[in-house]
Amino acid sequence: MAALPLEGIRVLDFTWVVAGPVATRILADFGAEVIKLERKPGPPGSRQIGLQGDLHRNKHSIAVNMATPEGIGIARKLAMVSDLVIDNFSARVMRSWGMDFASLSQLKPEIVCVSMSGLGHTGPRSNYVSYGPTLQALSGYTLLMSEGGGHPAGYGYSYADMSGGYTGALASLIALWHRRRTGRGQFVDLSQFEAVTSVIGPALLDIAVNGRAQGPFDYRSQEKPSAPHGVYRCRPRDGDDDRWLAISVCSQAEWEHFIGVLGSPSWTSEARFRTLYLRMRNSADLDARVAQWTATQVAEEAMERLQRAGIAAGVIANGQDLCERDPHLQARKFWGTVTLPDGQRTHTTGIAARLSSTPGSVRTPSPLIGSSNHYVLRELLGLNQTECDDLVTARAVWPE
Amino acid sequence: MSKMRADTAHEAFSSAALAGLRVIDLTTWRGHLCGRLLADMGADVIKVEPPGGHDGRTIGPFLNDEPHRDRSLFFWFYNLNKRSLTLDLEHQRGIEILRKLLESADIVIESFEPGRMDELGLGWQAVSGLYPALIMLSITPFGQTGPYRDYTADDTVLTALSGMLYVNGFPSRAPVRPLGLQAYHSSAYYAAIGTMCALFARDRAGVGQWIDLSMQEGTASAVEHVAGSYFGTGAIEPRRGTLHWSRYFRVGKCRDGYIMHCTLGDWTSLVQWVAGDGKAQDLVNPEWEDVVYRAAHAEHLFDVLDEWVKDYNRDELLERAQTLRLPYATVRPPEALLDDEQLAARGYFVEVEHPELGRTFRYPGAPYLFDGSPWRVYRRPPLVGEHTAEILHEIGIDAGETESLMAEGII
Repeated sequence: MAALPLEGIRVLDFTWVVAGPVATRILADFGAEVIKLERKPGPPGSRQIGLQGDLHRNKHSIAVNMATPEGIGIARKLAMVSDLVIDNFSARVMRSWGMDFASLSQLKPEIVCVSMSGLGHTGPRSNYVSYGPTLQALSGYTLLMSEGGGHPAGYGYSYADMSGGYTGALASLIALWHRRRTGRGQFVDLSQFEAVTSVIGPALLDIAVNGRAQGPFDYRSQEKPSAPHGVYRCRPRDGDDDRWLAISVCSQAEWEHFIGVLGSPSWTSEARFRTLYLRMRNSADLDARVAQWTATQVAEEAMERLQRAGIAAGVIANGQDLCERDPHLQARKFWGTVTLPDGQRTHTTGIAARLSSTPGSVRTPSPLIGSSNHYVLRELLGLNQTECDDLVTARAVWPE
Repeated sequence: MSKMRADTAHEAFSSAALAGLRVIDLTTWRGHLCGRLLADMGADVIKVEPPGGHDGRTIGPFLNDEPHRDRSLFFWFYNLNKRSLTLDLEHQRGIEILRKLLESADIVIESFEPGRMDELGLGWQAVSGLYPALIMLSITPFGQTGPYRDYTADDTVLTALSGMLYVNGFPSRAPVRPLGLQAYHSSAYYAAIGTMCALFARDRAGVGQWIDLSMQEGTASAVEHVAGSYFGTGAIEPRRGTLHWSRYFRVGKCRDGYIMHCTLGDWTSLVQWVAGDGKAQDLVNPEWEDVVYRAAHAEHLFDVLDEWVKDYNRDELLERAQTLRLPYATVRPPEALLDDEQLAARGYFVEVEHPELGRTFRYPGAPYLFDGSPWRVYRRPPLVGEHTAEILHEIGIDAGETESLMAEGII
């Protein structure tokens, strides 16, 4: 097996819910040894498939009772043999265990600590309780996800959790790189609220510099001016009428190619659609015309024909389209496969950045809680079997 | 005095996390956030633009809505902290200068159509032979292989093909597009993560490598539950309006705006409050104490809670909820971020001086606070070709040659 780029980096992982586990999953995919410290015994069920499987794959698991002094002792010893300690608590939690950067760096100055709390460790709202969906509500995403400025139409998922996750992974790598260069550890205070605010992008600068209120929502291009630009309903497929195509037409040359694919019906030569400026001004009429055409088309076939003519067009993929039908993702073998302890195989989201000589990989499924107790206690911390048994008896460590 | 300032600047630079790394940024506007993320942490990122200026400079919004190549806020956002070099890559002499530049670089980022770097004589095979330690990052809509390799896409099309768009909006109506260019942005983070990984690998093995970043894959990796549900249970995730797929969150309407309900907090506190207002209906029954039951009956639960919040002001509701440790939030417009007390206390927005305009502008700031090697503003976004002469000088091209290059229109 090819070498992994983050081999030799050990991460003590206190994170839970979604954003934190996404960050450490990315580090684990690229070869960091991530030891997930779980603070309660496992439920009898499995968390090895679906989203939970995706979140924890490639990680080790140890189950430690942080309500006992012995449990805290184990966690602190583990920090001493780790490069990075990562959590997503508010400031007081790690401090109460003596596991915050100030405490750990006295014993190990080169330790890197990343805390991915909801709103940061400082400031008047640092004690707010939050989740991904509430953070994206605070940062403006939820309100602007509406139809024509009406009632919010919904983000179907927590983008804030994902942006927090990849921001956390990047912060960890940058801090570890700095340590490699200088020998110095440091503390990273990552507010997931600030992380998701930062990916609003140029719209935020438009607010700050031009003072312009954003929205209401429409399908206007947020990059190069473009018309038609939007989503258009297509012909039903196998009784499913929720079939859509996204189309974006920018330049005059693209427009000529676009109407060529449509067979140049008479409306395309109307004066009100002659230039990009006019097409944008009359976009409502234009969209209605385009939708009349797409209604007669199978989304996949229309996409293919438009793309062959150089037009940006894409099926609005549902879960099945994405995971099963998209020929491109299949050809690129994007989806990973893991084998569960019972021999069953399951698919998992692949690895987005493909490194040519040291690629990340999906190696092991999400661990059963406490399944690495033996490895961590005996091999990493060098305890003998009696000491391990005593920890279980003292309810400081839960058995697998 | 001036010496002290130089020392301070030097110290700031050497304490930067990515000090000493040089990045050549050849990207179009679709790939230019990645270089910015590295520049913010102290890498020397050189934006290579065609002599007339980068395409991204023609994209709005513009300062005061006046189109001008040095006043595109779109360009500003993605190019803070970079230096600018103009170079005509259609011209052989331009390619030669780029090669010289790559000699001094650790990382090159490009987002041309697949195959274009080969045409320039700078495909991975050629580049890795010439500069074995160089890391090359290619950010394209669909990656370097596969049947869609030569297809084109903008952000909206990418959110469509990655499963992000389908799940936003109401069930029987058109899917709703995300705010911001999230296909580009999430891909940029994965690109930067891949680059950092390649740096660690290079540290050990001494050689660079090629990173193939498909934005379709980067975006698909930023949607948490679509593939998870499909692979886990075979379920196709539908659009659910504002009900979160976990069924613990939904938008409700107060007297003066919207709030986000959350039923994962302390149930007793919530139900006592609602009951105290005489609005609890059946929520006082013991089965609601079970969090799984609350998810299973989310529609009814949120209908009752919607009735309860409608006479509150949203800020009043938020403060009281948070006092009770209930994870509620207001659903605000992004404009509210500018006056947000929490962001202000943490210094999120930063002032960036634009001497050429005689003004200072507020920019969104750090996505993370490093206490040892902080995120910082080193320089405002560059004017077209602002650093051409200084960069050419750094790679050993003298003033006379620079002048002749300029006369020929290559820089």
